[in-house]
Amino acid sequence: MKGLVLVKQVPNTDSPFRLNAAATWVDEANLTFGLNDYDRYALEELLRLKDAGKVTEVVVLTVGPERAATALRTCLATGADRAIHVKDDALQGSDPLSLARVIHAAVKDEGFSLILAGLQADDDNHGQMGGLLARLMDRPCASAALSLALQEGGVIRVERELENNRLQVVDLTLPAVITVQTGINEPRYASLKGIMAAKKKEIRTVGLKDLGLDAGQVGGKAARLKTLRLAPPPKGKGAEMLQGPADKVAQEILRRIREKTGVV
Amino acid sequence: MGAKILVLAEHEGGAIREITWELLGLAHRLAGEAGWNAAEIKALILGQGVEGPAGEIAGRGAAEVIYGEGPALRNYTGDGYDRAIEAIVKSEAPEMLLIGHTPDGWDVAPLISAGLGVPLATECSAIALQGGKARLTRKVFNGKFVQEIDLGDARPLLATVQKGAAAPFAGRTQGQVRKVTAAVGDADLRARFVEVKKGEAGAVDLTQASVIVSGGRGLGGAEKFSVVRALAEALGGQVGASRPVTDMGWLPHEHQIGSSGVTVSPKLYIACGISGAIQHIVGMRGSGYIVAINKDAEAPIFGVADVGVVGDLFEVLPALTKAIKEAKGQA
Ligand SMILES: Cc1cc2nc3c(=O)[nH]c(=O)nc-3n(C[C@H](O)[C@H](O)[C@H](O)COP(=O)(O)OP(=O)(O)OC[C@H]3O[C@@H](n4cnc5c(N)ncnc54)[C@H](O)[C@@H]3O)c2cc1C
Ligand SMILES: Nc1ncnc2c1ncn2[C@@H]1O[C@H](COP(=O)(O)O)[C@@H](O)[C@H]1O
Repeated sequence: MKGLVLVKQVPNTDSPFRLNAAATWVDEANLTFGLNDYDRYALEELLRLKDAGKVTEVVVLTVGPERAATALRTCLATGADRAIHVKDDALQGSDPLSLARVIHAAVKDEGFSLILAGLQADDDNHGQMGGLLARLMDRPCASAALSLALQEGGVIRVERELENNRLQVVDLTLPAVITVQTGINEPRYASLKGIMAAKKKEIRTVGLKDLGLDAGQVGGKAARLKTLRLAPPPKGKGAEMLQGPADKVAQEILRRIREKTGVV
Repeated sequence: MGAKILVLAEHEGGAIREITWELLGLAHRLAGEAGWNAAEIKALILGQGVEGPAGEIAGRGAAEVIYGEGPALRNYTGDGYDRAIEAIVKSEAPEMLLIGHTPDGWDVAPLISAGLGVPLATECSAIALQGGKARLTRKVFNGKFVQEIDLGDARPLLATVQKGAAAPFAGRTQGQVRKVTAAVGDADLRARFVEVKKGEAGAVDLTQASVIVSGGRGLGGAEKFSVVRALAEALGGQVGASRPVTDMGWLPHEHQIGSSGVTVSPKLYIACGISGAIQHIVGMRGSGYIVAINKDAEAPIFGVADVGVVGDLFEVLPALTKAIKEAKGQA
């Protein structure tokens, strides 16, 4: 049984974020990038199924620019067997549904029994891709998994995170798509040996033509979900900001805690 | 009459969830903006034995409530709900389909998006209709920015709406109810509901604490939590955390505050190295007095805090702990 993890390279959350000149996205110049946190958990989940002898091959796929290859390398070094990088200038500006169509075209003949994605990407926060792909492939889907377990008879049992510390348990018939919530496991890190081994592993790069798609059908031109602008979040009531050396600030906080809360 | 706006109602064993009234409130406001008749606002509820709840919704916001019943819909599954909803949306052909950004709403919405071939805007905090165009507001980068998007001429306009984004519909309506038999049979389902169960309970209960000092990813490691613990101790309070902290095992899950953790309302809440994602904020914004310490001046946590310090928590926390001990005569 072959498994796939969809992965995305996203800006690290502690990067210095600034808007671009047109205020349509962030300025990428000063950002550092890494593997989307949710996807690290998804990859670990599939690697564990492979360690347990239930999955024979772990493939990772990303759609993204040149820099995204680094995220694929990270996955290969962590234990994935091979990688697919869909890369095409025409994909710039894609919306989630048209990206899902591209991913569908790239995976439909691979025969993956289990496809995992992250619950959401830390950049666009759409939280859609797993579900979109599942529906395009006509497969069942469950989102926000906090546990997965293969059962007899080609079924996978998923515990989905609900609110108020509750879980929904649902059985999906394979082939299926599942999106993974953070905290489902403790992701491993790439070992030195893994990093060396990764150098011999394959990253296959494909463009729209290779997938039998043309720009216009998919990609930026076909996008209907369009960003008008980005802005800083509304400030709410806004905090009173204190400045100065730590000792002085500490006294100021203490004074307010005393006045406002009476806990000291 | 077809629907202009179709609202997906949510219920739990027949009890209507609050998000449903919020979606109806939003639907009435949007219909007003677009010049649509309130008679064209409909709701959809799925389940087994939901005629009663359907009637309740017809009295509180929807001109017509379509209720879909069948064994395949007794409990939520993405597979069953998606097929039933797609069939009804195709026959109603609404301009807009509103779904709550809840665990189930968020689960099914992408399936509907791909099934109908229309784009989806998730977790919207605001929606406006102007001149036949929709402008939807949502967060990106976990709340560091808000994004305004449009969905072009795709119909229905499909969105999931954040909880609390709209005021619940407060009026009365005299709507109709109409039953449709689900287009999906139990045997067709590739997803089978097993149960809903409680997660594990922990040893600590933060809901009763009067002081909470919380640490986030900015702490950088389990061993670094000693600075948080020291301050909590000086204040006679408890230690809280954001999700990454418990995900990474720096603290047990019961310390997690937020939408998937506990909701707290202490007299004093001190957030250290926490950016202030909405899922965290909903769990602590009811606190009496909020102090935030973060090295990033733009962190959204400062939007809900009463007092904020832009600085390194590893300098500010020990200084604050010292000041408190001195004030208590413990130094
Ligand atoms: C369905 C769902 C449910 C969720 N439920 C929850 C939930 O219940 N609770 C929750 O918290 N999150 C929840 N999340 C996750 C949430 O979206 C955020 O990812 C999370 O809250 C971020 O945690 P953080 O602020 O600690 O980390 P980050 O966002 O990475 O922020 C770390 C902060 O630390 C600051 N920092 C770093 N070093 C220092 C220093 N030395 N001094 C001062 N500041 C420093 C940085 O400036 C940054 O602002 C949920 C997400 C989803 C999708
Ligand atoms: N460009 C992409 N390439 C590969 N996988 C992606 C891409 N975008 C999103 N995904 C996957 O879908 C998940 C959810 O992303 P999103 O719907 O963008 O929030 C991510 O965690 C990835 O697993």
